[in-house]
Amino acid sequence: MSSALRMAAFAAAGVIVFLLPGWVGGVYGAFAVIAIMATAAYGLDIVVSDLGEVSLAHTVFFAAGAYATGLLATRLGAGSWVTLGAALAAGTIIALALGLVTLKLREFVFSLVTYAATVVAAAVAHNWDLLGGSDGVSGIPTLDLSIGSLQLAATNDAGLWPYAFILLLITLYAVRQFRRSRLGAMAMMVHLNPRLATMSGIDVRKVRLGVFVLSSTFSAAAGWLYAYQRAYIGPDLFETYFLVLMLTAVVLVGRRRLLAPLIGTALIVGQERFLSFGGEVNAIILGGALVVALAILPGGFDALLRRLVARPAVQAPAPETRPVPQP
Amino acid sequence: MNLVQQLINGMVLGHAYALIAIGWTVLLGVARLVNFGHGQIYMLAAFVTWWAVAGLGLPYPAAILVAMLAGVLIGLIMQAAMLRLTFAQDLVSIMIVTLGFGHMMRGIAGLVFGGHPQVLETPLSWIDFEIAGAWVTAQDLAIILVAILFFALLHFVLERGALGRTARMVAEDPKLAQLAGIDVRRVYFAVFAFEGAAVALAASLVAPRTPILTSIGFEEVIVTFVVVVLGGIGSVAGSYVAGLGLGIFTALFGGFVSPAYATTAAFGVLIVVLVLRPSGLALGAGRGAR
Repeated sequence: MSSALRMAAFAAAGVIVFLLPGWVGGVYGAFAVIAIMATAAYGLDIVVSDLGEVSLAHTVFFAAGAYATGLLATRLGAGSWVTLGAALAAGTIIALALGLVTLKLREFVFSLVTYAATVVAAAVAHNWDLLGGSDGVSGIPTLDLSIGSLQLAATNDAGLWPYAFILLLITLYAVRQFRRSRLGAMAMMVHLNPRLATMSGIDVRKVRLGVFVLSSTFSAAAGWLYAYQRAYIGPDLFETYFLVLMLTAVVLVGRRRLLAPLIGTALIVGQERFLSFGGEVNAIILGGALVVALAILPGGFDALLRRLVARPAVQAPAPETRPVPQP
Repeated sequence: MNLVQQLINGMVLGHAYALIAIGWTVLLGVARLVNFGHGQIYMLAAFVTWWAVAGLGLPYPAAILVAMLAGVLIGLIMQAAMLRLTFAQDLVSIMIVTLGFGHMMRGIAGLVFGGHPQVLETPLSWIDFEIAGAWVTAQDLAIILVAILFFALLHFVLERGALGRTARMVAEDPKLAQLAGIDVRRVYFAVFAFEGAAVALAASLVAPRTPILTSIGFEEVIVTFVVVVLGGIGSVAGSYVAGLGLGIFTALFGGFVSPAYATTAAFGVLIVVLVLRPSGLALGAGRGAR
């Protein structure tokens, strides 16, 4: 009963979110970017929240998806289904290689090496002419997922929003299923008690690699749609902005909450799009949010909210007694 | 002749790298802390030096002091925000928080100093010398001289003096150090202030060689990782040797193979070292191999 109610509430919320950009004045572009960046952040989220490692290479998977899409669509005229496959393949291959290399690394050294990988990838993207060099690749055609006579094309942001929304829904469902799956349970065990996991016969390395590669597909798929949304890709995809955006989205609201990265992304991109104070101030706000979320509010808004909610509950009897003698 | 020029370039570059990295060496080796905003402190300090000379009209040596003061201030603010994480020795969170600080600093620099590239002309950069057919400026010689003096002083203070012993004790076991009557908080603040001042000193000397932009600092932080890790975490002498080696490698690789991929090649070496010898880093509480 309650699970059916929750499903209904979730569906109603989904419909409202889907219609929202049209109601508030056709801000499809901002909503599409929120959905895309949230999808990218979910990739990072399952590594941070479930595996307990901080990967700084998820911008590489995101950029790999975008580059595969941009290059194939402009140079070979590939359709959107082909570029989707290529984007996922590019992200998976890079994640597999990086995952194998970092298999034995933990915590700080793992983060350092993944950061190093991002830096190397950025340098390659800047300098390799095949990838468009520092100019990047422009003139990416619009999204066209038509199958036979079924027309599935998006010529502008309003047309793209439904696809971004569907991508986000698939991601949410996949993350939820992952957390209920054997792999998800094993990842948590590896995270919380690696020795117990080993004793229980879990192959720690296999789990780490599996989660890492799985996580890359979300970020790569987000990169795929982002290339169509922006119609341009370039080495700016490796800039710290995307890295800081994803990290902040993951830690801002709370760990291991299904909707947390989505809400985090919506807060950040929403501020940049609707309450912008210019690029510099936005950077200060975003960086500041990351600092505050980790250094001052451990556990994010979720933990803060719980503390705030918990406090009045203790004092609750006081206001109740007061109205009684008054009348 | 070209080889001589590249070698001399490498020497200058190497001392510059060592100087840029020394704050991190001390931070990581002495207090087991990291700072991914290192490159952005470099960038801000370069702007402050330029502003002190071009805006305030201060002489160059005074401008260096102003930049170092700014570096100390930034270091203290960062440490104040991260004190809880520092005591928890939560390196990964510290890493992300400092990334956030770096992002903030870029925004602040853009806001305060604008998006235009600035060039800092120091009096030393006008003086040229010819050595065996290769050219160096007095600025280059100043970098080498200051780096050598700084490293010698640091080596003496950290590895001989009581100050270094205190700091190492804090790194080894913060709780025990506290029981022994050491004010651990003060040590952490001092180490972060030193990090800020050291990278600011490096910026005020090295940054005049290139245009100063809000986007610089990325390269510097990469170089710093390589120097700190290859030099052996926390080793002052090792950092000096690694910096010098990396500088000569970069100059030769850049001069004879490909200038665009010079830092990338160095970073490739770093990844290989980290992957092959992760335990050699001896990070994390209680492992203290040093």
